[in-house]
Amino acid sequence: MKTLKRLTALLLVVVMVFSLAACGSKESGGNDSAQTSGPDDSQNVKIGVLVSDVTSAEALAFRAYYEEYIQEQYNVTFMYSDELADAAAEASAIDNFIANNCKAIISFASADRPAQIEQCEQNGVYYAVATGTLTEEQYEQYKGYEHYVGAIGPDLYTEYMAGYNMAKYYLDQGYTKFGMFGGATPYYTEMHIYRAAGMLVAMCEAGNGTYMGANDMGSMIGAIYGAGCQLEPAVIGDVELVGYVAGYDFDDAWFGKLAAVANDPSVEVLLAVGSGQTAFAGFKQANQKLGDIDCYTADSVALMESGTLDYLAGKFSASIGPVFIAVLSAVQGHPIRTEEGNAFAISQGYWVATSAEQAKEYFEVDSSKTEPAYTRAMLDTLYGASYSDLEAFVQKYSFEEIKELAK
Amino acid sequence: MKLGKKLTGTLAIPVITLLAVWLICSSKGVALFETQLNILTFVRAIANVSLVTFALAINLNSGRFDFSVGSVALLSSVISAKIVLALNLGPVAMLLLSIVFGAIFGLISGAVYVSVKLPPIIVSLAIALFYEGLAFALTGGHGVSFANSANLLSFSTIPNLLIIIVIAVLFMVVVFDHTRFGYEYKALQSGQKVAVNTGIKEIPNALICYTIAGAFMGAQGFISATTNGTIQMSLNFGSISPMFMAFLPMFIGGFIGRFSNDKMGYLLGAVTSALISLLYVRLNVSSSVQQIVSALLLVCFLIYLNNEGVIRGLFVRKERAV
Amino acid sequence: MGNDTLIRKENRKAALFRLAPVMGLVFLFAVFLILAIIKDINIPYSFKNIINQSVVVVVAATGAVFIYTLGSFDISLGASLCVSALIGAMAYNVTGSVLVMLLVCVGVAVGISLVSSVLASVFNLPVFVTTIAMLSLLSALVLVLIGANGTGDVIQVPAAAVRGINNVWFKLIVMVLYLAFCIFLFDFMKLGRKEKFQGGNPVCAKLTGLNGKKLAIAAFAIAGIGVGLGAFLTITYAPTLSRNTASSVGMDIIISIVFGGMPVSGGARSKIYSAAIGAVSMTLLNQIMLTLSLDSGVGQMVKAMIFILVVYISMSNHKGNILPR
Repeated sequence: MKTLKRLTALLLVVVMVFSLAACGSKESGGNDSAQTSGPDDSQNVKIGVLVSDVTSAEALAFRAYYEEYIQEQYNVTFMYSDELADAAAEASAIDNFIANNCKAIISFASADRPAQIEQCEQNGVYYAVATGTLTEEQYEQYKGYEHYVGAIGPDLYTEYMAGYNMAKYYLDQGYTKFGMFGGATPYYTEMHIYRAAGMLVAMCEAGNGTYMGANDMGSMIGAIYGAGCQLEPAVIGDVELVGYVAGYDFDDAWFGKLAAVANDPSVEVLLAVGSGQTAFAGFKQANQKLGDIDCYTADSVALMESGTLDYLAGKFSASIGPVFIAVLSAVQGHPIRTEEGNAFAISQGYWVATSAEQAKEYFEVDSSKTEPAYTRAMLDTLYGASYSDLEAFVQKYSFEEIKELAK
Repeated sequence: MKLGKKLTGTLAIPVITLLAVWLICSSKGVALFETQLNILTFVRAIANVSLVTFALAINLNSGRFDFSVGSVALLSSVISAKIVLALNLGPVAMLLLSIVFGAIFGLISGAVYVSVKLPPIIVSLAIALFYEGLAFALTGGHGVSFANSANLLSFSTIPNLLIIIVIAVLFMVVVFDHTRFGYEYKALQSGQKVAVNTGIKEIPNALICYTIAGAFMGAQGFISATTNGTIQMSLNFGSISPMFMAFLPMFIGGFIGRFSNDKMGYLLGAVTSALISLLYVRLNVSSSVQQIVSALLLVCFLIYLNNEGVIRGLFVRKERAV
Repeated sequence: MGNDTLIRKENRKAALFRLAPVMGLVFLFAVFLILAIIKDINIPYSFKNIINQSVVVVVAATGAVFIYTLGSFDISLGASLCVSALIGAMAYNVTGSVLVMLLVCVGVAVGISLVSSVLASVFNLPVFVTTIAMLSLLSALVLVLIGANGTGDVIQVPAAAVRGINNVWFKLIVMVLYLAFCIFLFDFMKLGRKEKFQGGNPVCAKLTGLNGKKLAIAAFAIAGIGVGLGAFLTITYAPTLSRNTASSVGMDIIISIVFGGMPVSGGARSKIYSAAIGAVSMTLLNQIMLTLSLDSGVGQMVKAMIFILVVYISMSNHKGNILPR
């Protein structure tokens, strides 16, 4: 029996070794035969999707748009990764997609984008970034890669302005006492750091003061990093950051800190760089305002309607439509490149709702399975389009502009 | 044992902790219990920690390690919240439903264990994965949100939480110290083979233990959910973290149990943990510092607990030398 | 039926149950192959993936078998791997030497393991609870290291530095060498026999003169080597490290060891190769789930059921009249 065990193990090893020996650089992906007009629906195109978070409302909304609308409209199949916690998981997921003959990969995961691009380029698989961008240095390095399609999403300046505009909305109304939820700022997450920086700069401008010696974007970012991304309450001229909580501990102490900030009688406005509904909605007082940078869901609309939430800057789920059509276009032989022949990098912002009616209207469009913000008819105009057409289309991302585009 | 020694042994740890925490806060110019919210935070932490400690201790004291307690809390609170929101019921209904579903899922967990007769740690791993997956599938990954429901959020008050704590402690003391089930439980705990050979039915005893543990976790899931009105989903063992908050109170409970009752010990252990938690809140201590402090406290207490004789011996020798 | 026939039948039955984890692996392999053919998957590439995805857990979990054989448990191995990888990467960035990075990874991992085991041995602490405390400490240390490095939320090694060794053959060599080392220690040296004795009956082991504390320290040190190698392989595969690096490895190690047929209570029935079988099996299972494109929640439920089924089959031969603990 021992012999049988050893023989079985040996057989397995032999099979794997021979398979490895046969394993060449079998390429998946590549261009299909050219079509002159519109996407080619004759052959199914498999697209892998990298997601770092499978449970967030935003990730689920994006997935619903791809699986329940795009997959119904086009002859494509989306293959989703499991939750990707780190760069190694991303590399594994890409390898899995390649093995499953995905022609392209759309990435919502950002642990190591350069490595993702390199891996896809080596294997002849198209790659694009959704709801994010590369840094300037990274873009310069990879813009010429054949299989790097591009990135559409809020750049760091857009993130900064999202925070800035939200804080300014309340500052302009005369509010001066703020509580803040810093989200993943202590984990050095750039998106949240820039949003927090935007809020703090707005407070500095309104209060005529400084925070940690900084009062503009550059110095504020530097100050936050200099403090190890651990922010503290502070008086900022005539404005005050009364309370601050960050992190996602979800333990008694964390809930206690959130409650303490929300229940501070001097706090007039609660601002959240993200997940404000989880952090503050259950604790805030009736007379307090709550602003959040998140996404449009039935729950957030309900909170707007009840007056719990009164400012929501959110990504709309169809915002990932243009990056999809650009990827499909590339796979089917019509890559969209800049005039210099490079991958594109286009910034796209948020829908901002400051009333329940607005939030409801946005959500109805955002969650529609038949008439989302970007329909097939609209996306098809981008198929094989020029870079300038794509850029013009994507940059008209406000709700009103998209309504105009749809006409 | 003299009453004085019993009282000292029972209250020493929570009292010393209270003094230490109060001193640290005072040195920073912060009052520990400045507002009613601070008391609510403290009482809520006691409720959460004590329920998890009871649930874990019931099985762990019998050598049954259970990774699935967090997933039972998650799943039972998800189902009870969905029912309550659909039928427009109140928080008491949600609590009762959460307890019932927690008991059911605990029973299922126990039933799997007694059926497959695998080491309980292995069974608990599979159950945790299964329940997490089920909660995810039931909500489509969206979780449950009722931050808008003032009615459901209104339950989390000091009197209501104290009632839950008192009922839980009384239940534990009565059931495990004054019933036949409790005597059989202790017999199985201290001598499993002998107890079974004397005719004690181990399987029903284990099933009841899992059911009670599940009920406690159902209650904890309810308290956690009604704290901020959202229930977030977890996958890949994301739900096991609540389990770790119970270890320090459990060891404190074991220590206090020598002087009085171990269930009171678990409660006082939870009080101790809650005081430390409140300290973190009052001083706005960062997450990494919290982790370090909590880990050091656990290790230091364990060092004392497992080397009490040696440590006492040092002082006795010093006294003799003097 | 004669006694001899009955005994042979029982022996065959026992042997079959012992083979259950291997048969489980073969079964999963067969299912994967069938699915791969039906779905037209790139099979050779998939085999490369399986090695890439399982090698870190195989190496770390094989070392952990020494701990589990003693009837102990270590839940902090994932965090230890992360800290080792971070410090190893920092060492590379200072020295520019891949060899130094390897030595630092292994050294740090062994150091962490020794701290756990010495703490537990010297102060008579329950090993499992010590590792829980270490898990918290190491998780906090990860944030401190990332902050101290001053490069945002990641610590990176240049991809070019590890490109040459980021290939399947190198990883296989490392894995096979470490496996061979562990098999030699476990099956052919006194250390393995002593550990099995200690895990099976600590009282008898003590009475025969075995020093349980020294054995624990040795077990943790060997596990530390595996964790260090795992950290090094993690850096070669994905040279960008963050606070979430190896976050799932801790639980993956436990699952792999159990899935591979290792008894949780340790003792004489411990098998050194159980981690390798379990890790590859879990990777195959993940591949199957991915190919089937099941919803995350449903996929996890299916995984749980398969897990309990395979473990049940591999352990179902050893039953008494009392419930296992």
